[in-house]
Amino acid sequence: MSSLATSRRTAERTATSPSQFRPAPSRRSRDNLTGWGFAAPFLAFFLIFLVWPLLYGFVMSLTGKSLTGANDSLIGLANYAEALADTAMWRSLGNTLYFTVISTVPLVIVALVMAALLNVGLPAQWLWRLSYFAPYLLASTVVSLFFTWMYNPQLGLINDSLSKIGLPKVAWLNDPNVAMWAIVIATLWWTVGFNFLLYLAAMQNIPHQHYEAASLDGAGAWRQFFSITLPQLAPTTVMIVLLQILASLKIFDQVYQMTAGGPSGSTRPVVQYIFETGFTGYRLGYSAAVSYIFFGLIVIVSVMQFVITRRRSA
Amino acid sequence: MKQIDFFAGKQVTRRQLLAGSAALGSVFAAAGLTGCGGSASAAAVQDIAFWHLLSGGDGIKMQAMIRQANEGNPGFTVHPTVLAWGPPYYTKLAMASAGGRPPELAIMHASRVPGYAPGGLIDPWDMSLLAEHGVTAESFAPRIWDKSQHDGQVFSIALDSHPFVMFYNTEVAGKAGVLTPNGQLQDVGSPQEFLSMAREMQKVTQAHGLSFGYLGSGSQMWRLFYTLYKQHGVDMELTPGQSMKADRDAAIESLEFMASLFDDTIAAQSGDISTGIAEFARGSSGMLFSGVWELPTLKKAGLPVDAATIPTLYGTPAAYADSHSFVLPRQLNDDDEKRRSVYKFVSDVLKGSLSWAEAGHIPAYQPIVQSQAYRELTPQIHYANAADIIAYDPESWFSGSGSDWQTYFAENVQNVLLGRDKAADGWDAFVQRTNTLLSRPNPV
Repeated sequence: MSSLATSRRTAERTATSPSQFRPAPSRRSRDNLTGWGFAAPFLAFFLIFLVWPLLYGFVMSLTGKSLTGANDSLIGLANYAEALADTAMWRSLGNTLYFTVISTVPLVIVALVMAALLNVGLPAQWLWRLSYFAPYLLASTVVSLFFTWMYNPQLGLINDSLSKIGLPKVAWLNDPNVAMWAIVIATLWWTVGFNFLLYLAAMQNIPHQHYEAASLDGAGAWRQFFSITLPQLAPTTVMIVLLQILASLKIFDQVYQMTAGGPSGSTRPVVQYIFETGFTGYRLGYSAAVSYIFFGLIVIVSVMQFVITRRRSA
Repeated sequence: MKQIDFFAGKQVTRRQLLAGSAALGSVFAAAGLTGCGGSASAAAVQDIAFWHLLSGGDGIKMQAMIRQANEGNPGFTVHPTVLAWGPPYYTKLAMASAGGRPPELAIMHASRVPGYAPGGLIDPWDMSLLAEHGVTAESFAPRIWDKSQHDGQVFSIALDSHPFVMFYNTEVAGKAGVLTPNGQLQDVGSPQEFLSMAREMQKVTQAHGLSFGYLGSGSQMWRLFYTLYKQHGVDMELTPGQSMKADRDAAIESLEFMASLFDDTIAAQSGDISTGIAEFARGSSGMLFSGVWELPTLKKAGLPVDAATIPTLYGTPAAYADSHSFVLPRQLNDDDEKRRSVYKFVSDVLKGSLSWAEAGHIPAYQPIVQSQAYRELTPQIHYANAADIIAYDPESWFSGSGSDWQTYFAENVQNVLLGRDKAADGWDAFVQRTNTLLSRPNPV
């Protein structure tokens, strides 16, 4: 980066060295002012709704602040110390990571498969695209309600179908070993359409000549997929994985509505734990500390992702 | 850029645009003033904001009671806001009070008051003002009145008590031969007697003897557990900074009995609240453990339904219960006149609570309970004795109806009820979770 910047500066110097081409200082500062003017609305929003809450939240995490206004004094890092020793927090953090891992993999692979199937040129493309993407447009409440009924142990469609083919009933949302998977299935159905669209767009951008040349060389469909399609999709895959990890880390809505974190706390994500300690448990300071620990985790994931991406593109 | 292309073919100068906006602004301002004038002319009627969490049949009854009070008092109009039961309601109420924008009046479960009173989110009641309308301490049953106090002050005025009871299908019970000559369910005095009565009913329904939906619901599990626990004649205490005081043996025995119910003969192993109620309502079981608020639903189902308190299985009559109570969220600016209207409204609703009793609840206001009209309400009168044996949640800032504490109970106990964990392990884990809460700084 530094070499690029240096060369640009040199170029600017060369271009502006003859005095007749140097812009008048007043004009330049006016341009600057106009620029700031255009940026001001965004900057104001950024400062008020992002930077200020970020700082305020951090200061709050150093206090014993309560929703009722009690214990407003600074207590240093006590909240952080308590959080690090809090098994319930670690458990919710573990649940979040578990969900992220087991949801990201199918959400990327299924999207890729769906896009590849559609890309081979099925008739009525618009219908496929619509039916794959339509669930993404539904509200989380609708999806949760819908799946809660499907998963109902006594009256649900899924258990009914299972018993018709002679399989035992499953306590989808009531078995700690199954509940997270049930939520992953619902999430997959609901959100896979977005990744699918990204993949489809990327696939349709791969030059057709590559496939023609490969066919002439005698490459079959699988060979073409693994040697042309997948490598060409690499940047898209990296982007999808990154977006998906960040989206999965923020899991809250469907869990809160389908299991409320149960059974036995097996699905409670860290966002729900933050909500519970802060708003129903009144401990805003402690809740802020847990949020900052979670924030730290997201930063670590993002940095790792950034490093991996850079190494690949280098 | 001196001029702005506004519409094709027509150019407007910046000066004209500014003048236009100013004119438009003044039109809106004028409209605003008219609006203010409109409400100012009706200022004689006080608007009272009232938040509650009563939905379904309860909500309709409450709406009718509010309408009646409004019609009888031209000086004020009560505007109710209904919020979803549980954490959403209590979170919003706490935040509104802490943020200085609370309603003038709200309904709370009496068991949640210890989480609100010490932090200054609600104000105490002035009993002399209520006495002006004929409502005094003597208007309430002793247990309910005791619960309305906190640190020597009255923080809540109970509208009712709503215990956890047992509904039964008289037709099924009759065929099972477990009815007394007066048509009510036989008394049973031990867990074994109860189980054999349930098995007799199962023989009639061919499905289950008892319906009790509990999966995924900490409240349901807690209601039955606490009823059975208190029937052992023991207490539970939650004091911040100390370990939870509870009788471990009684707790484990209660949990083991609950687990023994879910054998798919006496009761379905995997039933949530809605499937439990639906099962009883279609006659596939003889009994239902539920809250009294379920009565309108069961009556509507056309069942031959009667009710009683949950049988005393461990020697001491007890029933888990809570009360819908009126509280005064703390106001930033006291308005004495408005407060007086609130007192009048509350006393009117208490005096009209016979219609509330029709929804299944036991009225807190004794003149109603002692009235002939209430005595004629069946099956309400068959569990009215619950008011003398009710047990509220142990007091702390984190306990009570719809609290996270009940969720933590479910987290540790659901696997016991499903037969996956030992009762002792589930109970000990719950005690440990509770002790963690007690060891933390008290936020109220």
